[in-house]
Amino acid sequence: MSTSADDSPARRIMALYLATGLALVVLLMLVGVLMRMSQAGWIRLTSVDFYALMTLHGAGMIAALVLCGMGGIWYLIRREVAMAASLALWSYGVTVGGVLLVAVAAAFGKFGAAWTFLYPLPFLNPTWPAWSIGTFLIGLTLITLGWSAWCIQVLEAVLRGFGGFRGVLGIDAVLRPKAFALSGRKLPPPQVLPAFVIAFDGLLAAAAASLLGVALFVHWLDPAVPLDALWAKNITYFFGHDLANFIIYMLIAQVYVGLPAYTRRPWKNSTILTLGWWGTLVFLLLAFPHHLYMDFAQPVWIQYLGLGASYLSSVPVAVVTVFGGLLLVWRSGMRWGLGSLFMYAGMAGWILGGIGALLDATIHFNIHLHNTLWVPAHFHTYLLGASFLFALGWVFAMLEARSQDPTRPAMRWAIGVTVLGGIALLVATFYVAGAASVPRRYDVEPDPGPLLAGWGSVGAIVLLIGLAIATVEGARLWRGLRRTRTAIEWPWSPEQATQPGGGAR
Amino acid sequence: MEIQGKILLTYGALTALTLAVFVVVAASSRGAPKPYAEVQPRGYGVRRVWFWSLLAVLIVAFGLSGRLTPYSQAGSVAGEAVSFPIVARQYVFENMPEVVPYGVPVVFNLTSIDVNHGFAVYDSQDRIVGQVQAMPGYANDLRVTFTEKGKYIVRCLEFCGINHAFMQGSFEVR
Repeated sequence: MSTSADDSPARRIMALYLATGLALVVLLMLVGVLMRMSQAGWIRLTSVDFYALMTLHGAGMIAALVLCGMGGIWYLIRREVAMAASLALWSYGVTVGGVLLVAVAAAFGKFGAAWTFLYPLPFLNPTWPAWSIGTFLIGLTLITLGWSAWCIQVLEAVLRGFGGFRGVLGIDAVLRPKAFALSGRKLPPPQVLPAFVIAFDGLLAAAAASLLGVALFVHWLDPAVPLDALWAKNITYFFGHDLANFIIYMLIAQVYVGLPAYTRRPWKNSTILTLGWWGTLVFLLLAFPHHLYMDFAQPVWIQYLGLGASYLSSVPVAVVTVFGGLLLVWRSGMRWGLGSLFMYAGMAGWILGGIGALLDATIHFNIHLHNTLWVPAHFHTYLLGASFLFALGWVFAMLEARSQDPTRPAMRWAIGVTVLGGIALLVATFYVAGAASVPRRYDVEPDPGPLLAGWGSVGAIVLLIGLAIATVEGARLWRGLRRTRTAIEWPWSPEQATQPGGGAR
Repeated sequence: MEIQGKILLTYGALTALTLAVFVVVAASSRGAPKPYAEVQPRGYGVRRVWFWSLLAVLIVAFGLSGRLTPYSQAGSVAGEAVSFPIVARQYVFENMPEVVPYGVPVVFNLTSIDVNHGFAVYDSQDRIVGQVQAMPGYANDLRVTFTEKGKYIVRCLEFCGINHAFMQGSFEVR
């Protein structure tokens, strides 16, 4: 295990991933605003255009936020263990290439089977040509390839750097705590846990995606070869739910490292944190059946498995990680910056999205919420109101840690109110519409959908204004950074607590 | 109040509680700092209580919600219920009944001949009272006992193509 003092090459790779991911997120936000404005009746998109944009928005957003997480984790692990930059660049190139092909399929082929492309819908719609189906599938294959290469590289690195499965999973610390303490060994740093769990589960999800991909390709080449629709749906959600969920669990690694820089308290790994991630390792893979609650043909035991895993997945988040974050802030006397604001608000977003998800994962409630706007409500809460904020917080934490001219309080308030207020208004309209039984994925919604879509559009526009102001402030901090000749170690480590100027203040 | 309203109210209450905790914790960071070593023991005690409380709530919720599923009802009433076999296809529900009896168990037997569809029954207040998926190659039974007379609308709730938003049916309960 080696820590490089000069992490500039690794930082450049992270910056590439993050810049691409965040730029795509903002671009796809504009697509999302267009969709909500059309649902509000402010503009009129044709059904063909609406569903092509919806497919682009869904697939693109997941890939964009995954890119942010990939870059962040790669950087944090690269600081501890040597990894080849060329493979990281290859993963990046292939993943971005896949996103571009998905965009081509949607923009030029009007492919609009949604990012879930439930079999056999892609093949049974006359409005998109066969080539667009193939292009979309090849795009997803490239994303899976890039993702798999990243998972293999990160998994190999953490296993090599931290004592294999036994070391990474803290087996000795959990099963023989006294002997472990006496031996003087230490658990790996906390960011290693999400890196391992996501890379490990990510490979299983990629294997499932590959299986489905091959089956769909065969069906595309020869439509006479039928697939089982229930099997295809299970596999689709096994990897689709997992991939969408991985995002937040990847980006929490940045919070494990970034938030202590503000609170100046260490976020250390512990037996409890390790046990929490053991749970996440399992629950992440088993929660997907809640997407099939309304498929009564599904074996009932799988539905209960999904219910149990969905409920239990909340424990490591609420009791271990977010509680740990709150404890880090409690009476810390920390100085707030945009980085800590976004990361802290993101933890609240994670809990709020999780509550929405738990209610929806309750089978009795799901009867009334399934495929209503309650679903985008909760996943926007933890993708936009948590994952995106974690990524944004990390960017500002890096800028604030190295800039000598901090953000003025008035500017911090302006950005905080517009970004967080915009997100709150946007997701609130989804929740209210979901509770009013307004269906999701309708280009023309029944009442009160259009009214709420209008307010949702207002929220999204306020958010975009906030992001524009944040970009200007980020550029100002960046300019200050370039003028600064003092190299300040980043990320902050507990050992620096006694050193003046270490980390963000 | 209908069940959706109660769910929204529950969500609103839990949101307010969560935000209150986050605001209080953030406000505490403004005061005089306290050494982390002094904060941790008390915090770990609170965490222990929080863990057992949350686990208890989840176990009770699992037990309760596990008994309130549509699965146990779906196949148990074939003999006594009025059954309506319905076939979904882009973008219609075939064999939709015009009239459905009031006050007795009704089974909608759903399948699809093309893609995945949803079959969601909306009452006169435009709220979902029950739903099920229609999947090619499979049959799903949705059991409903209507306790209110009037017109009901059925909407497709699984994205099925560009006219998905217009795939509707209706029936009268009397």
